[in-house]
Amino acid sequence: MVAVVMISSNTSAAGISIDAGLTPPEDRWILRTQLRYLQRDDDPTSMDRKMDRYIFMTVLAYGLRRNLTVMLKQAAVHQEMSMAGSTGKDTGIADLSLLTKYRIYRRNTPEYTFGVATVLGLELPTGGDTFTSETWDVKPGLYLSGRRGPWASDFNTTYAWNGFADESSRGINPGDELSLDWALAHQFSIGGKADISLTPVFELSYKNISPDRLEDHNVSDTGESVLYLSPGIKFTRSSFILEALAQFPVWQEREGSQLKRDTGVLFGTRFMF
Amino acid sequence: MIQHAFLLILLAVFLVGANGCTTSGKNVGAQVMQEGSETRVYEVFGMNCPGCHGGLEKLIRKIPAVQHVEANWKEKQVAVTVKPGDELNDEEIYDAIRRANFTVGKRIK
Repeated sequence: MVAVVMISSNTSAAGISIDAGLTPPEDRWILRTQLRYLQRDDDPTSMDRKMDRYIFMTVLAYGLRRNLTVMLKQAAVHQEMSMAGSTGKDTGIADLSLLTKYRIYRRNTPEYTFGVATVLGLELPTGGDTFTSETWDVKPGLYLSGRRGPWASDFNTTYAWNGFADESSRGINPGDELSLDWALAHQFSIGGKADISLTPVFELSYKNISPDRLEDHNVSDTGESVLYLSPGIKFTRSSFILEALAQFPVWQEREGSQLKRDTGVLFGTRFMF
Repeated sequence: MIQHAFLLILLAVFLVGANGCTTSGKNVGAQVMQEGSETRVYEVFGMNCPGCHGGLEKLIRKIPAVQHVEANWKEKQVAVTVKPGDELNDEEIYDAIRRANFTVGKRIK
């Protein structure tokens, strides 16, 4: 049970969500990679548990039509868990996600750009033993993006309907997840050149994870809510983007004896071709 | 050990990307012209960042009559050079701009 509790944090690619509501051009490929480091500690029990997790995420997106983008998302995970002086390590592949993003609305004017897009994701139980939910998960979402001059802002919400049609081999139906993200960014052009910019980003993210269910009962030590404040920076050079973000959990509530979420960091790249 | 491998992979990606994306700053319509070629300049709305114009250039480059294309997100313009002797209908450019999720302004030149 300890292991189950400790690996319950997901492999979401949240963070640096600017322009999520603006679908890319037709026939445009985007390769996004992200390395995230997450940690959990401050054990409320006497077992002195701690978890470090590294997630290497790859997302490949393609603009099939101007209003339709298809995506593949795959993560590799390495985690180290310590308890009462002993440490266990595990490395593996997480569940594969297939996503489509559809442009609902977009308006471009000389003064501003505004876009709304909806996303529908399907997470397949393809991951390794430790890193799979063993269930088919459906993830709808809605993204709103606006730009005015050098300013950009996003509001994104996603809902993960985990185990919508099945349950794990242990009979557990994983808890659903609600995410609300707001982001604000300001773009600075560097050196007068039109193809380089530096963009400080500030994000506010709320996530609620419902408790897992087993035979109509909540599974103990599951379910939590967390609010992150996340400053970050994005460097853009033509069709290449570097990004970095620190995630500070400023408020959190956890059921049972789950470990506390600590500061996380992520580094990412994006190639567009 | 594993985390070191992750970091090395990421570092390699960074370095490849930084070296592979070395386009210089652009001035719309400033490219070298061939004798007899015609350059048109169109206003485009919705390009808001340095990473935005690449997709538009890719779509316009596919038009057979286009010899050269350069977009500038700051000036909100795209310059298209037509191959000497070829015919290019403005509607082909407008269609590419729309498929890039941008909005056509006026033809400036």
